[in-house]
Amino acid sequence: MTSGASHGPDSPVVRVAGFRKRYKKHVAVDGIDLTVNKGEIYGLIGPDGAGKSSLMKAVAGVLTYDEGVVEVFGITVDSEQAAERIKSRIGFLPQGLGLNLYPELSVEENIDFFADLHAVPRDMLDRRKAGLLALTKLDRFRDRPMKHLSGGMKQKLGLICTLIHEPELAVLDEPTTGVDPVSRRDFWSILSELVQEKGMTALVSTAYMDEAERFHHLSFLSNGKVLASGAPAKVRAAVPGFVATFEVASQREAITRLKQSFRQVDSFGPSVRVFIDGDDQVEARRRVAAAVGDLACSVISVSEPELEDVFASLLLQRAGRREPPGPVQAGAAAYDCGEAAIEAEALTRDFGSFRAVDHVTFQVKQGEIFGLLGANGAGKTTVIKMLTGILPPTAGTGLVAGADMQTAARSIKERIGYMSQAFSLYLDLTVEENIRLFAGIYGLDRRATTERLRWIVAMAGLSGYESSVTGRLPMGVRQRLALGCALVHGPRVLFLDEPTAGVDPLGRRRFWDLLAMLAREQGVAILITTHYMSEAEHCDRLALMHAGRIVAEGSPADLQRQVRREAGSLFEVVVDQPGRALTRLQGAGFLVTALYGTKLHFFCRDRDQDKACARRVLEESGVNVLSVNERPLSLEDVFVYRIMELERVERPFGQTVGA
Amino acid sequence: MKGNGLGGSEAVRVWALRLFVMTRKELLQLGRDVPLLLFLIYSFSLSVYISGAGMMMQLNNAGLVVHDGDRSESSRELIHRFHEPYFRFDGEVHDPRMGLERLDRGTSMLLLDIPPRFHEAIMAREPVSVQLQVDTTNAPQGLSAASYAARVVGEFSFDLTSSRLIGASGGRMDVPIVESAHRVWYNPNQDETWLQSIAHLLRMITLFAFLLPAAALVREKEHGTVEQLLVAPVTPLQIMLSKVLAMTLVVLVSTMGAVAIILKPVFGVPVKGSFALFLILTALYSFTMAGLGLFAATVTRNQAQIGMVSLLVIAPMLLLSGITTPFEAMPSWVQSLMALSPLRYFVDVTYGILLKGVGVDVLWDSILAMVLLGGMLFGLGMWRFHRQFE
Repeated sequence: MTSGASHGPDSPVVRVAGFRKRYKKHVAVDGIDLTVNKGEIYGLIGPDGAGKSSLMKAVAGVLTYDEGVVEVFGITVDSEQAAERIKSRIGFLPQGLGLNLYPELSVEENIDFFADLHAVPRDMLDRRKAGLLALTKLDRFRDRPMKHLSGGMKQKLGLICTLIHEPELAVLDEPTTGVDPVSRRDFWSILSELVQEKGMTALVSTAYMDEAERFHHLSFLSNGKVLASGAPAKVRAAVPGFVATFEVASQREAITRLKQSFRQVDSFGPSVRVFIDGDDQVEARRRVAAAVGDLACSVISVSEPELEDVFASLLLQRAGRREPPGPVQAGAAAYDCGEAAIEAEALTRDFGSFRAVDHVTFQVKQGEIFGLLGANGAGKTTVIKMLTGILPPTAGTGLVAGADMQTAARSIKERIGYMSQAFSLYLDLTVEENIRLFAGIYGLDRRATTERLRWIVAMAGLSGYESSVTGRLPMGVRQRLALGCALVHGPRVLFLDEPTAGVDPLGRRRFWDLLAMLAREQGVAILITTHYMSEAEHCDRLALMHAGRIVAEGSPADLQRQVRREAGSLFEVVVDQPGRALTRLQGAGFLVTALYGTKLHFFCRDRDQDKACARRVLEESGVNVLSVNERPLSLEDVFVYRIMELERVERPFGQTVGA
Repeated sequence: MKGNGLGGSEAVRVWALRLFVMTRKELLQLGRDVPLLLFLIYSFSLSVYISGAGMMMQLNNAGLVVHDGDRSESSRELIHRFHEPYFRFDGEVHDPRMGLERLDRGTSMLLLDIPPRFHEAIMAREPVSVQLQVDTTNAPQGLSAASYAARVVGEFSFDLTSSRLIGASGGRMDVPIVESAHRVWYNPNQDETWLQSIAHLLRMITLFAFLLPAAALVREKEHGTVEQLLVAPVTPLQIMLSKVLAMTLVVLVSTMGAVAIILKPVFGVPVKGSFALFLILTALYSFTMAGLGLFAATVTRNQAQIGMVSLLVIAPMLLLSGITTPFEAMPSWVQSLMALSPLRYFVDVTYGILLKGVGVDVLWDSILAMVLLGGMLFGLGMWRFHRQFE
């Protein structure tokens, strides 16, 4: 590298200054500065359309830009020639599950192809391939065509193909979107191991707020600008505050009262969650109690805010004081809380020899928000399609809004609202035209249409957008419009298939606000699927799906309690040799759920005894333990634990066949 | 069947309302698609004009080179008879091989070779022949040129004979002569622009009647909006029928525009029959083609694929249904295959009404064939639409 002479060992791997990118009139990235240092995992976090992909493509040398400087390894990437010079030293994984791979080729053929592209010598290739396949646990599937891999496996293969030439810099665009939590954790473990062992640097983007902790350094992006940047702890410190959580008898009333003094108030299942500015915990508790007033409520628990709270807070600051109008109060419809709105009984669906849904049974009552969680391909969408009458089941029965889905699919359609995964309204029609279209489809007459139109515009906060073409609206607004259209005929049951994918945190919260209002005040039964584990907390009840089956069911608190009872509490240990620590802890019988950076998560049955035991095991083997702390159990931990348990039960069979 | 609690008239109202809002939606969407609109307008106006004015199949301006080995009064007389607009005199060559070379290069089309002693032979009343070499790479044009040239030579010979006879018999021609007195019907001036402009209008109707509904349906599949419709209480029949209605309307309006703006005023095409009947049958034809288009849309996944399928389906139909080439002249297997092409019947209908001025009494069999084909294709499309989501 001739001109790399000025590029010393300590100079940044990537330096971006004043970066701007326009697509026609739309400004995608509007002046971004960032510096990625060697050996770092640098995270870009933000919703769809924040400008992450444009920035990453420019760094990888596959996108031209309008203004600013992009330097990689000290080389200014401003021309084809410059891009060619850095390409052999970087690995780029574009967005989309396995999009860079060839579906017909086998796992091994895919890897060989990418190695040949970079002219990796044969012996070196064999060595690296063996190592990476073992690390990703893909070695058993060498000959399997890529199209038959699960989403998580595809993404791991994508990572191997990106890293097979051992690049100094890996540019990974949303590598974990749509991947199940277990594969996601594996993914981060692999990445942090490679970064530590090979001294690689990684620039990674994500839409999951809860992954922010995995980065050494992160930047929050929104609308093409950086909202905050720094180490996770530093970003958190930038917005001092606490989160208060408590249960209260009349949740809606409490939220209305709290909203007058606080900007971030959410309903989490039966409880209420408030973000309070300031750094005095006692004061925070006092302010919440004052705002709630005479409503009977449980003990207010106060905790550190999540990064998502911080991001939402920053977005609110930017948006200024202009609080969008809250949901309108519609006359509370009379409904019977105990009435079952959805009953699924042993639902099963086969596609050829593949069983997508396997004896799924659950019940959703009127006024309840029921969450179906699981990775892409777990069978969530198929369940919804069967219940809405699009897809006939292979076996089993389902009752929706009092109608049998096999005999009365047509009456079901008139009584339910449905909002699908991708935004499924007409982008070339205006907001009002879309609403009128669906009003007509549901047979509303002119007067009823005008009335519902007014209600939807008020409820979803769409006023001012009525005659805008839908395609030009921000994601959050579109999602609320889609919800409005699904509600045009006042259905008693609402199906939502990953409605919040790609929406920014504020938009997501606003959306959940609406759902809570619908369920609590109108008694609408809501079945929702999501792969944002952090969102699942909003649901009254949850079912975790894995490989077509429900593996756990209950309220979020129940699910956490069950795991705590079975496996104990979750601890986080920070060490200097995480790889070694992992094998030691597993060897000593600890259940390790995650490894990233220098941190490991593991379960302890007995808080004090096991904690001491773990520390001893690690220190005896020469691992330097920096800290051991208990961590609150998240729903993602619950999910990962459940799946690891399942795999532990299933594996012996698989292995006897192999051996 | 869609009772569930609704009264009869209420059920009909809701059914009609659904169809109406869906049809209006299609029109709104088309109205927002500016590039497609521009393409549509161009196809039914300027492109019809260009085809009418530019596509000439009659012999026109055929290049002629002459090797005159005689250079006599008679040879000059013969050469002068090859005149415009049919022929273009490209000059003389001294060697017939140079003439052939011009044919090879394609700069001229005919080589007339007049032998030495041509005039002498005529004067001596001996039989004599001239040689004509014709480039028939483009077979119809070549044949046409050859037959025109043969006629020119024939007339030259006839004139020589008759003047000789008249001179000999003192003013009376005393030999039997059969003259062909022909009358040209339907297109008395044999104005080719009529055929070409109508033919092009037929092509455009075919293309858009197929492509517009097909693209509309496949776009719903691509964007996932069809899922939203499937969980709503609209039947597949309503989804498909609304597209057919909207797009048929668009095709009808465009056709009316093309006839009113281009065919009648620019080319003077007479609309001899009932224009209303023509529009009704155009609607029937659009419906038939839409059925085919929707069927194609159910077996494809995106707009690029539908583009490819349309090439595959539409191109042979346009070429083999007898728009500009006589259907009867095609091999019998092509004819029986094209019995399935709705265009084959619409061609008869269009020329019949616009140029011949005939009505239902003559066209009933073509109309019946279109109704049957349309019903079949639409039914097939519906069946596939049901199937593809299972």
